[in-house]
Amino acid sequence: MSIISKYVTKKNIKKKNRIDKIVKNSLFIISIIAASFIVVIILFNLQQGVKPLISDNGGLGRVSLLEILVRFEWLDGKVNATVGYGIGYLIINTLISVFLAISIALPIGVITGLFIAKIAPKAIAEIFRTIVELLASIPSIIYGVFGLGVITKITIFVASIFGQQTSAGISMMTTILVLALMILPIITVMSENAIRSVSSTLEEGSLALGSSAMQTYFKVIIPAAKSGIFAGVILGVGRALGEATAVSLVSGNAFSGPTLNPFGTTATLTSRMLTGFRETTGVDQDFRFTVGLVLMVIIIITNFILKKIMKKVGNINEG
Amino acid sequence: MRAKKRRKIDKMIQSLIYLISFIGVIIFVSIIGYIVTTGGKLLSFELLTGNYQAKVTDIFVESNGDNYTYPSSENEYYSPRWDIAVKDSINKEGNPIVEISYIGDNSPMKKAKNLNDCLIGDKSFCSEYSSVNIVVGNSIKTVIMDDYNQIAYGKYKAEAMVKVLEKGSTINSMSIQKEGGGIRGSIITTIYLIVLTLILAVPVGVFTALHLKEYSKNKKSTYLIRSMIDLLTGVPSIIYGMIGVVVVIPMLNIIFKTNGSSILAGAFTMAIILLPTIIKNTEEALKVIPQEIRAASLALGASKTQTTFKVVLPSAIPGILTGVLLGIGRIIGESAALVLVMGAAIKDQVSIKEGSTTLAVHIWQAVGGEQPNYELAAAISIVILIVVFILNRIAKIIAKKMNKSWY
Amino acid sequence: MNTKKEINNIFKIKNLNLFYADNQALIDLEVNIEKNKVTALIGPSGCGKSTFLRCLNRMNDLIEICKIRGTITFEDRNIYRPNYDVIDLRTNVGMVFQKPNPFPMSIYDNVSYGPKCQGIKDKKILDEIVEKALRDAALWDEVKDRLHSSAMMMSGGQQQRVCIARAIAMEPKVILMDEPTSALDPIATQKVENLIENLKKDYTIVIVTHSMQQAARISDNTVFFLLGKIIETGPTNKMFSNPNKQETEDYITGKFG
Repeated sequence: MSIISKYVTKKNIKKKNRIDKIVKNSLFIISIIAASFIVVIILFNLQQGVKPLISDNGGLGRVSLLEILVRFEWLDGKVNATVGYGIGYLIINTLISVFLAISIALPIGVITGLFIAKIAPKAIAEIFRTIVELLASIPSIIYGVFGLGVITKITIFVASIFGQQTSAGISMMTTILVLALMILPIITVMSENAIRSVSSTLEEGSLALGSSAMQTYFKVIIPAAKSGIFAGVILGVGRALGEATAVSLVSGNAFSGPTLNPFGTTATLTSRMLTGFRETTGVDQDFRFTVGLVLMVIIIITNFILKKIMKKVGNINEG
Repeated sequence: MRAKKRRKIDKMIQSLIYLISFIGVIIFVSIIGYIVTTGGKLLSFELLTGNYQAKVTDIFVESNGDNYTYPSSENEYYSPRWDIAVKDSINKEGNPIVEISYIGDNSPMKKAKNLNDCLIGDKSFCSEYSSVNIVVGNSIKTVIMDDYNQIAYGKYKAEAMVKVLEKGSTINSMSIQKEGGGIRGSIITTIYLIVLTLILAVPVGVFTALHLKEYSKNKKSTYLIRSMIDLLTGVPSIIYGMIGVVVVIPMLNIIFKTNGSSILAGAFTMAIILLPTIIKNTEEALKVIPQEIRAASLALGASKTQTTFKVVLPSAIPGILTGVLLGIGRIIGESAALVLVMGAAIKDQVSIKEGSTTLAVHIWQAVGGEQPNYELAAAISIVILIVVFILNRIAKIIAKKMNKSWY
Repeated sequence: MNTKKEINNIFKIKNLNLFYADNQALIDLEVNIEKNKVTALIGPSGCGKSTFLRCLNRMNDLIEICKIRGTITFEDRNIYRPNYDVIDLRTNVGMVFQKPNPFPMSIYDNVSYGPKCQGIKDKKILDEIVEKALRDAALWDEVKDRLHSSAMMMSGGQQQRVCIARAIAMEPKVILMDEPTSALDPIATQKVENLIENLKKDYTIVIVTHSMQQAARISDNTVFFLLGKIIETGPTNKMFSNPNKQETEDYITGKFG
């Protein structure tokens, strides 16, 4: 009789099988819990956000979804004394800011990605890659501090050229630049990965046809990396749309709009949601959840549109 | 001819690419440069370990009749009777103060008596005093000499204060302030939050990844669970904060008897934010563990549970660690959600059942008000950046090691 | 006479069919594995010999799409019977894999892993088991001074012998070996073959090999597989000198494979 066989008893094996079953079921329950958080978030956001739209808000009357979308003033009257909310200007401001920020960050990001992946000598590429990764890891609040301390000054300078006044540099232009800085590293990292994974045979094929290196880069490689670059854009737009603290530091949290003057103060959906959330109660707080719902819908729609565009222009031969 | 022209254009485009690519470097250098030059001076051991609230002690001192000397420098003002030198300075909050810049070894100030021990702060009600340790860096807020008409306030500036000090042999009452503005409370809060969040998020994340990769055979439910967790990534952090206020805080108020904002509420909220990161990284690590390892364990008669927890999970530790490091970076950098669930009140006495600020929220508090304190914000930013950069590099190194093949 | 023969066959396989989804990988296998002998499974790659080997300790259970019909009895009990416990089976039937696959732990922890999983906690007993297993695997002298260094740091041949020691530590009745030397150099292969030679007296060994020479050198019995079927089975020296079937002869003499 061996030592081991003394231990391999019916009882022990039964115990093992029982433990297996318990562990298996526990892991399943835990993963269900993990998956259910998104449901909780959506449900409670809906519950709080829909409340101002359907209840009479303690005698103040219903908030009309249609009206708030076309009004260009945060609140017409006193807090918790009226329900004259408006977020039309916030939506416009948010979309303009994010669009312009992406328009600045995309070309720079793609070209930097190309530079790191294909053009730069190995040592320089390594340094650049590290710098971009570190930039990507800088928390947004620090971008906010930088925006407040440095970019406002740039804005003041630019405004003075045009003979314009700013409110200490706190403005739409500063907001856009801060957002652009924040998403630049994301787009650069994604572009670099996409460009690097374009097969070299494609490059060689183009060069063999007598195209110059630059023609190859811009006509063959970047188009081939399109879908990866687009994935970066989607991530960047997501971050810009959701950014709250940095934006609320440099935007000025304007009460009305839309802001079309780049040197004027502005506000985005998130900055308005954040400002005063803890200090307020009742419908004034609930309404911020309504804004949150609008923000989520905007995120979903932009994601959907971007993914549609990506499918249309994207290539299948690379991921 | 055409080839020549094209080469020229190529060269031009290439230089343009070099130029544009340098924008990233310029941004990096200017951010680091700005943060370091603005906050570098303020960053000190004192800042990191000091209290946020200033502490004031009232003292009573008698001169011993000696006159001392001290080679005071240009902007210092020296009092020979009390053997101390003071100068005009600015504290961490940016307010003017009269700071003690020198105190002699035999100075009568070393024998100062603590009036705070006395009834209503008056020495006539006192028989025993505790001693007070006055050190360089403390500031003097008010001085009242034995002649009650000789009074000086901090706002009179250092020169005037020294003049008043020389006008008597007894200091009836002097308010010494140990300067505040330190970030110890916020550092402790950040550490508490990191630990609590990881305690909540790591087990749930790792076990979910184990279910998805090791146990679940049902492809449909795996897909569903995975996509629901992926959705969490797309939710802006401010929404997490708002949900934290209406769901997590009321829940903790009941369970842990907290009263509104708390570090605990922050931890529960951050744990949900981190879940997708930890699950994804653990899954990646589980994916690269060769099937042969599992087979070898099962072939030795080990049960599924033993195989999973004794062989598979230990092998996945590098991946879990990567997720944890990225998660710590996220906790340190998060501001929007935490402003909402933990509040923005800076505290020195930190309790997990009460609200306080992390370093990032401290920054938000420093620059968010009417009078932004850039020096403090930048000094805290230096701390955050150092930690985040180190975490980032370690995560990179681990990821590189993990990608090396197994056998 | 009859009873004696039954005891000698530790595995009896009857009418075994195995499917991967709709593809039949093993067809109507009938074969017995003799106790305390080395049985070699030979045949061209993809013929089902490894699949068959994995049926013997039910490792095919891990593959979801795998379906099995027929009976395999181990010590006269059908291992595919619903209430036959697979853990019990695997403690009696050890396995050594094609590529050395030590756990990323120390040599000691690798060898003591199996016994620990059965609930042995006594350090003294574990020390004994580890030493005995490593001695039996002819590895003790090489590693006794670095038992607590990582098994991943060893050479491929040593790793494979740690894997054999790990299997021996469970004191199984049978050791299944799936081309254990295919990833090793000739010197390491020689060492593993010598080891198998020594293990023969205590264990029943079933070994899959693609090397005719290896089969001839170490095995007592040989089973020849072709396209999921067993073509011929019998004592090795007879099969290699005077095979019954034309296919066997063709394969052994190297006409295909």
